[in-house]
Amino acid sequence: MGIFILTILDSTMALRPTPEMQQRLSRLEFLAKQAVEGFITGLHKSPFHGFSVEFAEHRIYNPGESTRHIDWKLYARTDRMYVKRYEEETNLRCQIVIDFSSSMRYPSEVTLDSPGMNKLKYSVESAAALIELFRRQRDAVGLSLFSDTLDLQTHARSSMSHHRMLYHKLEGVMDSPSSAQETSAISSIHQIAEATPRRSLIIIFSDMLDKSEDLDSVIDALNHLRHNKHEVIVFHVLDKSTEITFDFPERPTKFVDLETGAELKLHPSEVREHYISRMASLRKELSARCGAHGIDWIDVDIAEGPVPVLARYLIKRKKLL
Amino acid sequence: MAVEFTDSNFEEVALKSGKPVMVDFWAEWCGPCRVVGPVVEELANDYEGKVVIGKVNVDHNTELSAKYGIRNIPTIIFIKDGEVVDKSVGASPKNILEEKIEAML
Repeated sequence: MGIFILTILDSTMALRPTPEMQQRLSRLEFLAKQAVEGFITGLHKSPFHGFSVEFAEHRIYNPGESTRHIDWKLYARTDRMYVKRYEEETNLRCQIVIDFSSSMRYPSEVTLDSPGMNKLKYSVESAAALIELFRRQRDAVGLSLFSDTLDLQTHARSSMSHHRMLYHKLEGVMDSPSSAQETSAISSIHQIAEATPRRSLIIIFSDMLDKSEDLDSVIDALNHLRHNKHEVIVFHVLDKSTEITFDFPERPTKFVDLETGAELKLHPSEVREHYISRMASLRKELSARCGAHGIDWIDVDIAEGPVPVLARYLIKRKKLL
Repeated sequence: MAVEFTDSNFEEVALKSGKPVMVDFWAEWCGPCRVVGPVVEELANDYEGKVVIGKVNVDHNTELSAKYGIRNIPTIIFIKDGEVVDKSVGASPKNILEEKIEAML
């Protein structure tokens, strides 16, 4: 279990969009568009050209099937019944999974509108940017949210209205007041593995600070996803300056576990060395064991912005298609 | 230059050549086929002498289309020792087709 600074926690979260949220929704969508535009401008080669979303082939029409995709112009010209098929049908199906337990509100309580960053805001903004990217590539995307239980599991779709709904849900997560919610990543991931259609790409944003502290169970849960033929990327979201390098001021400091409320008064210099080495070995072990099961484990720093997330996703997509 | 296969010359030109064969099934009215066409021509030049690469117009050569069970166009089939060893349906990029040809060599 990690060490956290105190924030005020109360009430339960609400996921239904309010009119005020809908107004601000466009801001999250706007931020996502900006992030993706900036990212694409920075690429040397656009990933969006080529055959991937284009009309790819004609197939003989089978009597009895839907007439929706018949190429009527061709029928008019040649009397032949052919169906147009698009590459889109073979596009990716992706499930974004966000851990919104209390530890994700580290290092400080922020909202979408306020300056500053915490792990949850980073995850929400990165997810919004990914959704924008999926929209452009016409990939289907779904969303799962979990803390101590699995709170939301949507289907993967590629329609505009579905994307809007996902932005609403993401806004809802950021706007919900925080309460002391422990992480139960393990049981949630097992549920997601069963609920998501096979052969999906599952992208998880979490600090993976599970209440059970049992690495074997975490790996078992992630492996369950692989067993169901999913491709898995875990973005291990961290505040590098404090969680990896333990960069706290040299004075007695009160550390509070955001999930349980447990407090500990310490002088940072007393535990720094021990903390850094334990954290390093934990990250190394998780990364190595995930690698052995074909799971991409990637540490991301909330100070970096969503670009590394987008880049990593595109690399993975290229490998898959 | 890609060979123009027909129902009558296919046996002689392709199957009895003793070389691996790549056949592109296409039609004039099919947009994606026109995208693949130039790629097939390029491959025919690149692999000249090593692989017999040609095209079959499905409207004029219904026997060949039926024999190989072609229901989608463009479809590209890869034949080695008279057997279909691989197949690519839809507009595939050049590198994918190259990989499949290399696998036959």
